[in-house]
Amino acid sequence: MKIANQTTSAVSLVQAALGKIDQYQDWHIFTFVNRDAALKRAREIDKKIKNGEPVGRLAGVPYALKDNFLSKEGETTASAKILTGLTSPLNATCVEKLEAEDAIMIGRTNLDAFAHGSSTENSFFGPTKNAFDPERVAGGSSGGSAVAVALGCAEFATGTDTGGSIRQPASFNGVFGIKPTYGAISRYGVVAMASSTDVVGFFAKTPADLDLLMSVASGKDAKDLTSLPDFYGFEDKKLKKKKIGFVKEFVESPALNPELKTALEAKLSAFRSKGYEIVELSLPTLEYALATYYILQPAEVASNLSRYDGIRYGFRSKNLDPAKVCSADENPEKTALDLCYQQTRQEGFMRENKRRIMIGNFVLSSGFYDAYFLKAAKARTLIIKEFEKAFEKVDAILSPVAPNPAFRLGEKVNDPVSMYLEDVMSVPVNLAGIPAVAFPAGWTESNPASKSTKNPTKNPTKNPTKNPVSKLPLGLQLLGPRRSDKQLLEMVEEIL
Amino acid sequence: MEITDKEISHLASLSNFSLAADEKNALKTDLKNILKYISKLDELDVSNVEPTFQVFEMENVWRPDEITPQDASCEALLALTKESLDHQVKVPKVL
Amino acid sequence: MPATPSSKTTADKTSSQNPQKYGLTIGIECHVQLKTKTKLFSEVDNDARGKAPNSCVSPVDYALPGMLPRLNGEAVRLAIRAGAAMNAEINPKSRFDRKHYFYPDSPKGYQITQFYSPIIGAGFIELPSGKKIRIEHAHLEGDAGKLSHYADYSLVDFNRVDTPLLEIVSMPDISSAEEARDYCKELWRNMLFADVTNGDLYNGNMRFDVNISLKKPEATELGTRAEIKNLNSFRSVERAVLYEYERQSKLLDHGEKIVQETRGWSDATGKTTAQRSKEVAQDYRYMPEPDLPPLNLSEDFIQAEYSACPKLPQDYRRDFAKKLPTDTLEVLLDYPLLMSRLSELATDHAAALAYIANLFSSVLLAEENASLLNDKLPEAAKLAELADMKAQNELSSTSAKEIFLKLFEEKHYDKSPRALAKELNLIQENDSAALEALINEVLKDPSTKSAQEDFKNGKEKVLGFLVGSVMKASKGKANPAAVSKLLKNKLK
Repeated sequence: MKIANQTTSAVSLVQAALGKIDQYQDWHIFTFVNRDAALKRAREIDKKIKNGEPVGRLAGVPYALKDNFLSKEGETTASAKILTGLTSPLNATCVEKLEAEDAIMIGRTNLDAFAHGSSTENSFFGPTKNAFDPERVAGGSSGGSAVAVALGCAEFATGTDTGGSIRQPASFNGVFGIKPTYGAISRYGVVAMASSTDVVGFFAKTPADLDLLMSVASGKDAKDLTSLPDFYGFEDKKLKKKKIGFVKEFVESPALNPELKTALEAKLSAFRSKGYEIVELSLPTLEYALATYYILQPAEVASNLSRYDGIRYGFRSKNLDPAKVCSADENPEKTALDLCYQQTRQEGFMRENKRRIMIGNFVLSSGFYDAYFLKAAKARTLIIKEFEKAFEKVDAILSPVAPNPAFRLGEKVNDPVSMYLEDVMSVPVNLAGIPAVAFPAGWTESNPASKSTKNPTKNPTKNPTKNPVSKLPLGLQLLGPRRSDKQLLEMVEEIL
Repeated sequence: MEITDKEISHLASLSNFSLAADEKNALKTDLKNILKYISKLDELDVSNVEPTFQVFEMENVWRPDEITPQDASCEALLALTKESLDHQVKVPKVL
Repeated sequence: MPATPSSKTTADKTSSQNPQKYGLTIGIECHVQLKTKTKLFSEVDNDARGKAPNSCVSPVDYALPGMLPRLNGEAVRLAIRAGAAMNAEINPKSRFDRKHYFYPDSPKGYQITQFYSPIIGAGFIELPSGKKIRIEHAHLEGDAGKLSHYADYSLVDFNRVDTPLLEIVSMPDISSAEEARDYCKELWRNMLFADVTNGDLYNGNMRFDVNISLKKPEATELGTRAEIKNLNSFRSVERAVLYEYERQSKLLDHGEKIVQETRGWSDATGKTTAQRSKEVAQDYRYMPEPDLPPLNLSEDFIQAEYSACPKLPQDYRRDFAKKLPTDTLEVLLDYPLLMSRLSELATDHAAALAYIANLFSSVLLAEENASLLNDKLPEAAKLAELADMKAQNELSSTSAKEIFLKLFEEKHYDKSPRALAKELNLIQENDSAALEALINEVLKDPSTKSAQEDFKNGKEKVLGFLVGSVMKASKGKANPAAVSKLLKNKLK
C-alpha cells in the first residue's frame, strides 16, 4: 500500500481516497465519511515528514473502519437503528493501534446490522453493492469494507469475521482478507456479535499489506482477557511439512460452483509446482458445522444484544402509547418500562437480528439448553478435533470461501436458510478458532447476471444499477492451525 | 420441532419485541425452517464428548486489584443517555 | 410471648411448651459484598459509600457496546478465603456464566455469575449451639445497580454494578426462626473474621434471601416454599420467619395452598408481601460466559489462600473456653480485631485477660462504642499495664475505665496508661505511711473534732465525711478504701 513519505504526501493519499468515495457514492459503501478530520490529520503528518520527525508505519494511509468498531469519530451504529445517535467516548484497541501508526480513518463502512448476514443487505442504511456488479451483493457482513478496498476508497479496511464476514466479501470483491487466529487481535471496543467466534481482521490489496497490519494490530490486550499473548512474527517455522490439503467433501459437493472448483484445482497445481505435496482430506464432521454454528452463534447474539434497550445510549422509541402499540406477546400487563424496552427493540432491530435473537433465546431456554446449545458445544469439540487431526498431515488446507461467487441482491435476503448456507465453508474455521486467508483466485468466465442485464454501460458511476463488467471475482481461502497466520500469508504469496 | 403461536409469543417476550401479527407469522415460518435445518445435528453422536465453549487454552486470566483511569469518564458515559436527572439515568416507570 | 417455631436441635423452652403443628424447613442464600478495592470486572472504585450517584462507573459497568469484563484476581482470592471460613471444598475448576434478564439495574441485560460450575463446593457453618448448617455451594457474581422509584419515573445509579458478590447457598438444614437468625449471624461473623467483607449490614454488605416451607410432622415431602428476598439484619430474618410461619400455617390450616413466590419484607409493618403479581416463571437462559477464560486453580494457590484465612469465631471459642465466661465471649465475638488482641493478652499477659475482656464487654454493652473497636485498638502491652495498675490499686475502677476509653482517642495513641493516669492525676495513693500522715493532719484539724467524737460514739455514718476530708487533702489521689480502713483503726 502507499505510505506517505518525502515524495508522496498524506494529503494526496487522503484526497485520492475521498475522490473514490465520491465517485462510488451509489455503491453505498460508507455510513460516515471523515472528510475534514482526515485531511487535517494528513496535513499534520505531512508536516511531521517535512520536519523530519518520526512517523508511524502506516503514515498517512487512509483506511476504512467497519462501523462496528468504537471510535470517537462519527457515530458507531453497527448499521443498526438501535445504535443510531451513539458517539463513542472511546476508541477500540484496534483503532488506537492503527492511529498510533499514523493511519487515517477515512470513513466508516456499511455492514449487515450487528454483522448478521452474508450480503450487507440487512443494514439499516440499505445494501452495499458489489464492486464489480452493482446488481449483486457485496457479501457480508463486512461488505462495505471489502468494496471500499476493491474500489480504492481506502488502502485497507478493518473487518470482523464471526462466521465468514471478512473472507466471503473479500472473495466476492476480489481482495485479500485475513481472519486471524481467535484472540490474535483485541476485541475491545468491537460491537460483539458471537463472542466465542468473533475476530478482528483486515482487507487489503496484497498479502504483504495484511502482514504489516497484523504486526501492527495483533497482541495481548489487558482490556480483552481472551486476547492471546503476542505470537505474530514469533512462529516456529520448523513445522513446515510442505503439504497442502483439500477437503474432499467440499470439492465433491454438488453445491460448489464449477468455476470455483476449477479455480481451486488451478491453485492446488500452483502449490504443487512450488514443491508442495497435495493431500486429499476427508473431514466428514464439517457437514455439521453450519448447524452447530447456527445454534451457538444466535445464542451468543441473543445474549450480547440484550444490552441494547434504549436506556443508556442510542435509539429509544417514541411510540410509547400503550393503546397504539401492538401486543402480540404473552404479557398483557406492561409497565411503562416494558413498553419502552419492547418498542425500542421492536423498531431498533432488523428482521434478521430478531430471527437470531429469538433462535438464540430458544436454544438457551430451560428445557432446550441440553438438546441444542450443549449438544452444539459438543459438536464443536468434534470439529476442532477433526481439524487438529488434519493439521497433523498438512500445513494448510485450501478451500473455497463460499460455494458460489456473488449472488444477486434480493436473491436470498428473505430466505434465511439459503442465506445461512452461504456460510457452509466459512464457519468451520470460526468454530475451531483457526486462521484463514481469503485471496483472489481469478474470475468467472462470464457474469450469469449479465444474461438479464442488457447493454452494460462503460461508466459505472453514472448508473450503478447497470452491470459494469462481465466477470465476477472468484475467491479461495487457505486455512491453517492456530497461530499459523503469518505462514498462511507467506504461502498465499508463493502462488500469486 | 414445531413452533406454535404460543412459542413465538414466549420467545418475543423473552426477547422483548412487540411483534405485529404479520411479523409474528413471518418469523414463525422462518424459525421453523431454521430449527428444521439445525436439527441436522440430531444425526451426530456426541455421547462422551466434552463441550467446547471457548477456543483458546488460557486459564486463570485476571488483573490486579488496582484502581486505574478508565477510557471514558462517568460524565461522558452519562451524557450518552436520552434522559438523566440528578446524575442518574432516568427510565420510564418500572412498577 | 409470640409463638416460636420449634428447633429440633437446640434446647428451646418455647418449643417444648408449645409443640408446633408444622415443621419448618429453611434454606438461606446470602450475598456477601467482597471488600476488594475495585469492582469484579473493571478497575473503578468498589467503595461508593458517601460518593455521588454514578461516580464509580466504568464503560464496562455501563455496558457500552464492545466492552469486555476484566476479572479482578483479588475477588478470586477472597472467595477462596471465604470458602475456608465455611469449611468448604474449593473447586479448582470453575467458570462464569451469564444469567439473562431485562431490568435497568442490569446494564448488560445479564448478570455474570457462576451457575454451572461455582468456585466453592460443599461446606458447613457450625452454630454456637453446635449444630452444623451445611453449605451447598458458593459462587462469585456481580451485584446489580440501584433503582429509586418516583411517581412517573425511576432513576438508576450504576455505582453498585458489578461489585463482587459471593453468594452462599445453604442446604435446607435450618428449622426455626432463632436458628435462621443464628445462622445468619454466625455466617456474618465468619465472613468478618475471614476479612473478606466490610460486613456493614446497614449498607447492604450482606443480604439474606430466606426460603421457607412448612410441612406437617408426618409429611415426608417438603411443602411449597416462599422466598423472602433482601433481608439485611438478623432481627428481620428472625421476624420474617416468624411472620411467614404464621401466614403459611394459617393458609394450611384452612386447606389452602402455598404459592411458590418471591416476597418482600417490611421492617415497619412487620409483614411479608408478594413482590410480583405476575407469576411468570423467570427463564434466565444461562449461558457460559465467552468473554472470561475459565479458572483452573493450582493446589498451591488454593492452599496459600486457604491458610491465609485468619482465626475464626469457632477457633476463639475453643481458645477461650476455660478463660472467659461464655456470655462475655459471645458479646466480644462480633469484633475480629478485638479477639486477636485478646489472644495476644492471653498469650503474653494472661493475668490481664479477664479484666480487659470484661472492660471491653461492659463498654460495648453500656456505651455502644462498638464503632471504636474496628479501626484501631490499644496495643496488648498497654492493656496489660492498665490491668496491672488496677490490680495494684493504683487506679480506681472508675479511673481505670476512664483511661481505657481515652486510649482509643487519637491524641492519646502514643501514651501509656501510666502516663495518662499521671497526666490526669488519677493514680491512687496507697502508701500507708503517706496516708497516715495525711490522716493525722486531718484529725488535727479542729473542724473534724466533732465528727471524730460522733464516730467514737457509734455514729459510723460520719466516716464518709472524714474519708472525704482526707481525699480532699490528698487532692483525690488517695485510695478511699485504704483511707477508710486506716481511719477506722485510728479512731477505735
